[in-house]
Amino acid sequence: MTFIQGFQSLYLHIPFCKTKCTYCAFNAYANMDTLVNDFVDALVREVEIVGRSRPGQQLHTIYFGGGTPSLLSPGQFERLLSTIHALFNVKSGSEISLEANPNDLDAPYLTALRQLGFNRLSIGMQSAHQNELRLFARRHDNDAVARAVSAARRAGFANLNLDLIYGFPHQTMTTWKASLVQMMALQPDHVSLYALGVEEGTPLERWIARGELPEPDDDLAADMYDLATDILGQGGFEQYEISNWAKPGYECRHNLQYWRNLPYPGVGPGAHGWAGGVRYSTILAPQKYIQALKSSVGDYVYPRTPATVEALEVDRPGEIVDTLLMGLRLTREGIQRAAFRERFGEDVVTLYPALMNRFSAQGLLRIDADTVRLTTEGRLLSNMIFRELV
Amino acid sequence: MSQEHIRNFSIIAHIDHGKSTLADRMLQLTQTVSDREMHAQLLDSMDLERERGVTIKASAVRMKYLAKDGQLYVLNLIDTPGHVDFSYEVSRALQACEGAILVVDASQGVEAQTLANLYLALEQDLELLPVINKIDLPAARPKDIAKELEDLLGVSADGMIPISAKQGTGIQDVLEAIIKQVPPPKGDANAPLRALVFDSHYDSYKGVIAYVRVFEGRLQKRDILRLIATDAKFEPVEIGVFSPDMRAVNTLEVGEVGYIATGFKTVRECRVGDTITLATNGASEPLPGYKQVKSMVFAGFYPTNNDDYPDLRDALEKLQLNDASLIYEPETSQALNFGFRVGFLGLFHMEIVQERLEREYDLDILATAPSVEYQVVKTNGELVTIDSPAQLPDESVISEIREPWMKIQIYTPQEFIGPIMDLAIKKHAEYETTEYLDTQRVILHYRIPLSEVIVDFFDRLKSASKGYASLDYQFDGYRTGDLVKLDILVNNEPVDALAIIVHRDDAYHKGQKLISKLKDLIPRQQFVVPIQAATGKRVISRANVKALRKDVLAKCYGGDITRKKKLLEKQKKGKKRMKMIGSVEVPQEAFMALLSLDDD
Ligand SMILES: Nc1nc2c(ncn2[C@@H]2O[C@H](COP(=O)(O)OP(=O)(O)OP(=O)(O)O)[C@@H](O)[C@H]2O)c(=O)[nH]1
Ligand code: SF4
Ligand SMILES: [Mg+2]
Repeated sequence: MTFIQGFQSLYLHIPFCKTKCTYCAFNAYANMDTLVNDFVDALVREVEIVGRSRPGQQLHTIYFGGGTPSLLSPGQFERLLSTIHALFNVKSGSEISLEANPNDLDAPYLTALRQLGFNRLSIGMQSAHQNELRLFARRHDNDAVARAVSAARRAGFANLNLDLIYGFPHQTMTTWKASLVQMMALQPDHVSLYALGVEEGTPLERWIARGELPEPDDDLAADMYDLATDILGQGGFEQYEISNWAKPGYECRHNLQYWRNLPYPGVGPGAHGWAGGVRYSTILAPQKYIQALKSSVGDYVYPRTPATVEALEVDRPGEIVDTLLMGLRLTREGIQRAAFRERFGEDVVTLYPALMNRFSAQGLLRIDADTVRLTTEGRLLSNMIFRELV
Repeated sequence: MSQEHIRNFSIIAHIDHGKSTLADRMLQLTQTVSDREMHAQLLDSMDLERERGVTIKASAVRMKYLAKDGQLYVLNLIDTPGHVDFSYEVSRALQACEGAILVVDASQGVEAQTLANLYLALEQDLELLPVINKIDLPAARPKDIAKELEDLLGVSADGMIPISAKQGTGIQDVLEAIIKQVPPPKGDANAPLRALVFDSHYDSYKGVIAYVRVFEGRLQKRDILRLIATDAKFEPVEIGVFSPDMRAVNTLEVGEVGYIATGFKTVRECRVGDTITLATNGASEPLPGYKQVKSMVFAGFYPTNNDDYPDLRDALEKLQLNDASLIYEPETSQALNFGFRVGFLGLFHMEIVQERLEREYDLDILATAPSVEYQVVKTNGELVTIDSPAQLPDESVISEIREPWMKIQIYTPQEFIGPIMDLAIKKHAEYETTEYLDTQRVILHYRIPLSEVIVDFFDRLKSASKGYASLDYQFDGYRTGDLVKLDILVNNEPVDALAIIVHRDDAYHKGQKLISKLKDLIPRQQFVVPIQAATGKRVISRANVKALRKDVLAKCYGGDITRKKKLLEKQKKGKKRMKMIGSVEVPQEAFMALLSLDDD
């Protein structure tokens, strides 16, 4: 087995939510509170299997995603983090993030999180309007976001992200602008804006199919994106990825790991990971995940754990495509030609002469001596490029 | 087997009257196919036939039958298609036979292709055996139908065998009638070999396989053979019979039906309709071959990927072996590059050819809108024939345009006469007369421009008659029409492959409809795409396909790139089916849009 040297990023998936949002197709489940304890046991075991397979592996980011990780107690995080610290070499100053629902973030909880080493929070704000939050069946209201942000600041969180969604039924430019303005007033350090995708099997999809809600309007969504780009730019944010903006120095290091196509072990149900030349995913259902980690005997060597369901060796051409698909999302950094050459032994432009020519003629890509990246127009049309690369 | 013990016959009927099902029962009763291997419509061996439940190709099969007279007979059966677009298959099959079983559905009675196929059999002087099928159906009226047939054929209703092919009743009676009534072949066994090639297909191991009927002489495995028309000589790789799979034999005797694997790797040497004889001391005169059929409908076939042009040419050549009605010639289009102008017997035929090319030869094809063949009289008196709107000369040199008209017969229960007449008026048809088949059913006779028939006439006839009406047509003649070319401009460029020829009165209405359809069918591009319909310099209708602004995938969670790639791959496949015209992607449906202009 080949180890990719250097720092890695650990992703832990917490699949529980108190209620399920109407647009959500993530691997997240409501009403499974009774499983949480067993789940944490299982997750600890999976972390142990990963850690023991690669003693001394260096980490520079740890990310709890979900689901709603803020449903775990400080005690549960303590167990997980101490396991991680015991088995991995966690670099000092590592980014340790938590995705959180604003309702869960009261002062004592936040203080406990800080003490455990968390230094970044990603808060799901989604919208500043009560009726829109109701459409999504979010369990928080707008004031909760403001309260959570100020409590987080008081507890010493210097790195806060807020998420917003745009391009959903009945949203207008006016309500979108208001959401953006209110979000800016909360002075986050990082902002993620997600265009709504109507996902199969969600209530939102059903409502639209039945004609109870209008279909999302792509043109309007594009206008919303442009507006957001202006407002965030004026507010001192720099865009660094198609959907992400940050104050200088606050780019999410964990997500950069993905976008640079660098290794990240993923654990927990429905997690994805890439390490040791293998891309894999794990068992989706929490119950089965717990079962698998309980009943498993024998020696597993990561990237295979008892939770692995699909594991795919990535060959060099595959890794190149992944690197482009991810890297081109980075609007500022793009594909660094020198780094690409070092990694793959070839120049990215000479690797795809015809496509690169075409995309730059079409105004989708900007090719400089050092970088290849999306143009402003290319940001919202990136699939036109990605489709040709797969 | 002596000729006295051979019977060659076809099964003919209107579509769906039960030919293939009757063939199934015969295969079982003669134990050609065991019950275990049996499945419904066994001779419909193409996937396409099975999926659509329709016979497309005639298929021959040899059976052995121990008759009630205690003697063993060889029966060569050819199951034929019933759809009007495949009547050439029927006529060629009939030429290899001495008799034909005419199947009539006991609940539906005589339909358009019952008569059409009946006439084909009579033209060949075949012995006709009328059989009334589906007597198990509650709506069956075998007596009435027998009477109908008696009036038509002038034969007594008593001799018509009532059967249920589905339940297997009356099948043996049919076989016995074949033995008694169909004459055995009469060829001279001692004359030099003459075998008619009535069909063929390509096999990558054995080369061109010719399906033959031996009319004179005999054929042996080691014989060196010659095709009379092409003068190509060959030693067969194999000779054999269909039972129903290909089974090698050592000889084919006079009167028999079988195949010859020629070993030819190219398709030029062996043509359907040619006669095979011995290379030395063979016959010099060929058997009467086949009239080449005239295509009714023409369309351009282009590979969606330009690089596939040689593959498409190859595929057409090979498919032509198995579809003798197919004609084609190279064509170039400004918009679509290199392709072929292909002639078909009808729209269903066109659809089947496209699907066969795509499936059997793994190609992606773009078909342009079907067109008929026009005659153009130029101002200098010259007459040119065109089968594509793109070939229409400049308006200034045209003195008149003539279009083909058809005689059509519509068979229908009386209650649908009203809606059918409405349809006929809409389609510029001229009423001729009404004929009474019996007290409930009539035949409506019209003349109509062929261009109207090929568009959506048949589908609309079916819906106007709740599926009961059937249609037959024959070429009538060319007539001058007030016709104009409707140009379609995409991104300000006329697209030759999208142009159509229409009646001047319809130009405005069709132009508007076409543009509003195209506007929805052409996917958004990175820029605004204007589309226009115009006759000459006059723009009739215009619309814009708005620019594509957003083409991104939603949040990709936890770095899940695998799912993302799958989605992108799926989208990419969809795009592959589009053709780049200039810088605009145009999907296949856009070219077919004119077929459904009257939908609403
Ligand atoms: N009830 C009943 N149905 C029958 C009988 N014979 C055939 N069918 C049904 O009629 C339909 C058409 O039968 P086919 O044998 O495919 O008809 P065909 O004449 O070969 O049709 P084409 O080759 O497409 O022209 C099928 O659904 C058969 O099951 C019968 O005796 N009784
Ligand atoms: S909180 Fe997030 S993961 Fe949970 S249901 Fe809502 S969108 Fe899905
Ligand atoms: Mg059939």
